Amino acid sequence: MNVEFNQDQKLMQQSAREFAEKFLKPVAKKLDETQEFPVELIRKAAELGFMGVAIPEEYGGAGMDSVSYTIMMEEIARYCGSTSVILSVNNSLVCGPLLKYGTEEQKHKWLTPLAKGEKLGCYGLTEPNAGSDCAGTKTNAVDKGDHWLLNGAKIFITNGSNADTALVFANTDPGKGNKGISCFIVDMKSPGFSVKPMHGKMGIRASGLSELVFEDVVVPKENLLGELNKGFKIAMTTLDGGRIGIAAQAIGLARGAFEEALQYSKERVQFGQAISNFQAIQFMLSDMGMKIDAARILTQKAAWMKDMGQNYNQQASAAKLFASEMATWVTNRAIQIHGGYGYTNEYNVERYFRDARVCEIYEGTSEIQRLVVAANLLGR
Amino acid sequence: MKIFICCKQVPDVAMTIQIKDGKFISEGMNYVLNAYDASCVEESLVLKEKYGAEVTLVLIGDEAGKEALRKGLAMGADNAFHIMDPALNQIGSQAAAKVLQAFFKGRDFDFILTGKQAQDSDMGLAGGILSEMLNLPYVTNAVGLDMADNKVVVRRQGDEGVEVIHMPMPSLITCSNDMNDPRIPSLKGIMASKKKPMEQLSLADLGLSADEVLRESKKSSLKSFSLPPARKSGAKIEGDAQTLVATLMEKLTKEAKVL
Repeated sequence: MNVEFNQDQKLMQQSAREFAEKFLKPVAKKLDETQEFPVELIRKAAELGFMGVAIPEEYGGAGMDSVSYTIMMEEIARYCGSTSVILSVNNSLVCGPLLKYGTEEQKHKWLTPLAKGEKLGCYGLTEPNAGSDCAGTKTNAVDKGDHWLLNGAKIFITNGSNADTALVFANTDPGKGNKGISCFIVDMKSPGFSVKPMHGKMGIRASGLSELVFEDVVVPKENLLGELNKGFKIAMTTLDGGRIGIAAQAIGLARGAFEEALQYSKERVQFGQAISNFQAIQFMLSDMGMKIDAARILTQKAAWMKDMGQNYNQQASAAKLFASEMATWVTNRAIQIHGGYGYTNEYNVERYFRDARVCEIYEGTSEIQRLVVAANLLGR
Repeated sequence: MKIFICCKQVPDVAMTIQIKDGKFISEGMNYVLNAYDASCVEESLVLKEKYGAEVTLVLIGDEAGKEALRKGLAMGADNAFHIMDPALNQIGSQAAAKVLQAFFKGRDFDFILTGKQAQDSDMGLAGGILSEMLNLPYVTNAVGLDMADNKVVVRRQGDEGVEVIHMPMPSLITCSNDMNDPRIPSLKGIMASKKKPMEQLSLADLGLSADEVLRESKKSSLKSFSLPPARKSGAKIEGDAQTLVATLMEKLTKEAKVL
């Protein structure tokens, strides 16, 4: 693993940074307040190739590696948590499994427009009673001979309000738990498919979070992704890739808050001097910077292992776990350094804190990540 | 139409600039395309889209220069020349112009663009010196380019407003970064830039010796670097409107003495 970025990665970093500074920095606060899905920003991100970073060019992607993907995620999240998760879902959770499990025909029909950003994808796994426990999936797909009939509902679906294509996990062999789940590619314009926007979130408020409802939705036979009843494996493998993206997102959010705190500490005067002169503040800054760096190395290692074709299950979970908990801690410290002002929305740090908090929950809670790491350590 | 752009790689301003013993520490720095040169690339690409053109980049620099060239190629330039030679490390404007003069000798072009200055040194000399050496008509501080009647229509920002100048070809124009908003290279462009021609040239390839460059370099030399003094932290006045105004008035009259 090389700790210095190669030329492609450095150029990608410059492009992502320019995009974030030019388009996200000025509107991130407003997006959080209005909770509006940033349609125009996502169109611009698509033009730059940010919707299918690690997807081969033949399927409409940029053909870059997973390390580049983490670089982009960090730069985007540094200014806007919502935009970063929108990109993360399309890249990791939708394009990722389509590339890995899709047939050639499915890749050309579904993956290419998603990787180009002409269409937007969402990932329908979570249900009211099936979060960490996928076996509790109630959405079901019944084989009707020449098609599948889909019924049920999904909640907390990022991009749901604006997506065109959904990957939906449904029960195809009731009673078999995880071994009876299959994954389907569903056109969201299908009759019987409805979307209910969800509001009231603490952070990441402009990500189009929605509930998906399926009432007798006809899904063509050829839209089964991977093998029948092997959906659980697809879900778990997909989340491994997703976790690398969420880890990078957490790092970006922590870095955004850290940079603001660092700047503020140099400007805020108390007791006749800048508060950055006080050791109490210096110790916080020092720990914040150190933890961000540590999380970045861990995350890039997981991405590098993915690029090398190695099993990265443990490293992805470890990176996501460490980075997300680090981000909660760092953004919290950023508020502390800002004092009373940090507790108000006059400054950005409270938004970073609210945005970062979910990184410990989505795409596998911290508790699930610990189980994954432990299972790997114990060889289970 | 053949457009050449003389580019420079400059330290990434997003990183911390470090100076030690009067010298700039280049280790660990990222180098990026000079923003003024990026504006030249953008303007050339607009002309290319409008009238058709071949856009060629030329840069003097070490290995780090490749990244700046690749950025220009990723934006959409067609090809690049990278002049790299150990004798060219830390050269000034005069020597750079000398090298570029050798590069352009016998080369076919319609006009040369270059940033009006580089973000790192802010000298703004190389363009002017090069135009003299090549005996080319020269205009500075362009804020817009177009074509008409086989001439380059240059909108130039002067002290008293914008001047419109029709430049014959070939000629040399230095450009402001106010000219446009350079496009962000797409990932597709970044990947495509790897396949575009980038020719590496040494001093010998240009028919120059290290001594000749050294002679030019000696005409002016940089003696030391120092960072600007750190900005003092500001004072924040708190309280109700009446207190704020009273305190501010007192500070402006007694401390700053500007009222």
